[in-house]
Amino acid sequence: MQVDIHAPYKDRVNQALSDPNLRVAVSKATDRMTNARLASMGAVEGQLLRTQVRKMKEHVLSNWPDYLEQLETNLTRNGCTVHWAGGIADAQAIVKDIALQNSANLVVKAKSMATEEIHLNHALEQAGLRVVETDLGEYIIQLADEPPSHIVAPVIHKRLEEIAEVFQEKLDMPPTREPTKMTSLARARLREEFFAAGMGVSGCNFAIAETGTICIVTNEGNGRMVSSMPRVYVAVMGIEKLVPTVEDAFLQLQALCRSATGQQLTVYCSMTSGPRQQGDVDGPEQVHVVLLDNGRSRMLARGYGEALLCIRCGACLNACPVYQEIGGHAYGGTYNGPIGAVISPALAPEIAQFKELPHATSLCGACREACPVKIDLPRLLLDLRSDLVQEGASPKTEAWGIKSYASLMNSRRMYENLGKMASIGSNLYAGMSGGNIKFMPPPLNGWTAYRDFAPFAPKSFREWWRQRSKMRGQK
Amino acid sequence: MTVRDTILSRLREALQQPHLPFPPAHSEPLTHTERMTVTHVDGDIWAQAHRFAQELHAVKGSCELLETVTEARLSVVSRLQLWLEEEQAARKTADAERPEDWDVLCWPLDQLQIEGLPLILEEVGFKLIQPTDLHDPEQRERIRYVRAGITTVEAAFASTGSFVVGGRGPNARAASLTPFRHLVVIPFSRLYATGEDWLAQMRHAGKLDAYLRHSRNLSIITGASKSADLEGNLTTGVHGPKVVHAILFDDLQQ
Ligand code: SF4
Repeated sequence: MQVDIHAPYKDRVNQALSDPNLRVAVSKATDRMTNARLASMGAVEGQLLRTQVRKMKEHVLSNWPDYLEQLETNLTRNGCTVHWAGGIADAQAIVKDIALQNSANLVVKAKSMATEEIHLNHALEQAGLRVVETDLGEYIIQLADEPPSHIVAPVIHKRLEEIAEVFQEKLDMPPTREPTKMTSLARARLREEFFAAGMGVSGCNFAIAETGTICIVTNEGNGRMVSSMPRVYVAVMGIEKLVPTVEDAFLQLQALCRSATGQQLTVYCSMTSGPRQQGDVDGPEQVHVVLLDNGRSRMLARGYGEALLCIRCGACLNACPVYQEIGGHAYGGTYNGPIGAVISPALAPEIAQFKELPHATSLCGACREACPVKIDLPRLLLDLRSDLVQEGASPKTEAWGIKSYASLMNSRRMYENLGKMASIGSNLYAGMSGGNIKFMPPPLNGWTAYRDFAPFAPKSFREWWRQRSKMRGQK
Repeated sequence: MTVRDTILSRLREALQQPHLPFPPAHSEPLTHTERMTVTHVDGDIWAQAHRFAQELHAVKGSCELLETVTEARLSVVSRLQLWLEEEQAARKTADAERPEDWDVLCWPLDQLQIEGLPLILEEVGFKLIQPTDLHDPEQRERIRYVRAGITTVEAAFASTGSFVVGGRGPNARAASLTPFRHLVVIPFSRLYATGEDWLAQMRHAGKLDAYLRHSRNLSIITGASKSADLEGNLTTGVHGPKVVHAILFDDLQQ
């Protein structure tokens, strides 16, 4: 069953939980990526690498506007055109205009979260252009008309037989589940598109401020294709994707690859510093860079700047027990997993737009341990919950419940009496339903919807302790 | 105010807030002396060459280590002949022999530092395709079905089995990208223990910044094009070359 990302949060989660294929596919892939990351980071001084990348990124954010200006100056000096986009509409209009001005009716795209964030495909298609995703995973989900469900592995939720069905239906592939044949077919089809496209679009994994260089990281080579074959190349980058120097870029590249897929380096890191010059055989004649804010400056001002350290490796998704159960679509936004649960609300004009996401966590801390830049994601999730309460966005019953709990915990007598009542009541009820409680009334029915509830112990710990101390005293 | 100025002033205002929890008010950049080298490689140039071969092998590439330029010359020719035979055998049809099988997309061969290579390749029958403008539809069409490409490198890193190819002047980016097979010629003089070593030497020589800018495009390549998007099944040759073969030769003795 496909998760409807426009459905309410609870429905999305229920849809995801009732899809057995999804759980098998997601946990198989996330386990594989987590093991690869652990081996790869363990093979080098992984902790030092994390500390250094974090230090470098912290320095960038402390001097953020200066580095942006430096990048802009150097890109311009190299012959690139720099555009600034405040939000989604700005960014869509900029890219659309570039395409229309160059009569680029066919646009080939490399995988990019920033362009997902601005719903670029939809905007370009509305303008009458054809857009083709060229990362194999993105190509599959474009054919299946679904959004990506993981930052680095967009089709992680689909099993091989489901992908084969998509290829048979949309590409007229003869029935096969042979991965090599499916890849060859995609290569042949997409090669035609690369040769015919008028414009290539990618995101940007990081941009080097000192040289004005846009870096994109891929394993398939589609990043090199989109930035080399068409006459026009556009990179859309979040304004936080900056590194100061070439050496910093190489350091971050290694942290990114090791954390994302466990590779020492991905197959391709393509670094573009400018358009083709006279005498060059190939390369784009125009290079455009769109610097996208879309809530990032607001996120800093709101106090969630630490999440801007994110290098989009996906390790926190792979480590998260909640993501492993529900996959990416249940989060409902562009970004999913623990980092999505932080940045979707933090980037949005109103945190309350994604008010359920800060609760889509067990707060186990696995994400923080996995993160190559040591982002304290559990703390940020708690901060978001607290902001939601301050803004009055959390349900009234929840605020009332917490207040009652606080007064209960402040009065020993009330606490003990309530404990006694709960013990008597729950044991009576459990006795009637054969040992465990199988149903509780709202709001507690969320628990019994999936599991039994054990009755309270007949004696509280305090009572037991008091009796034990008495007996010892008697001895 | 322009969008640019609005964004920059928002960032400046936010950073001036007295109790902003992040980022720290004073944070130093990473210095060249403290920045770590992630993967280390010890030993002389031959030890480094062996490490390169081992690492490239681990990422679905293959490699030959040769002692002289003469051996390298012969190796290039025999590798291309072997590939040609493989291609024709795989086709198994009446048109097993196609004239375009002999086409090789390449950079100017004087750059490969193997004297006499163009001559011997042409003698054997290979046609060396050196496009001048790949936005010209005719030239673009000419390279579409070329199955092999030859390039050299700007630098290669033993620690990861990676190499750096540039993309300016007569050096087509396409030569290491569009063919199914990529033959990469690496003289020992361009082999470095690590990427960090190469960057340090370029920085020390004061060339790094200008080099990157003027290159327009540099690609660090580590193995054969691949994907695990089909439920974790590793497939190669997704968009870039499926076969990557490196010929390393010792040019330091000469
Ligand atoms: S938060 Fe950390 S682990 Fe998660 S995607 Fe970002 S960098 Fe990777």
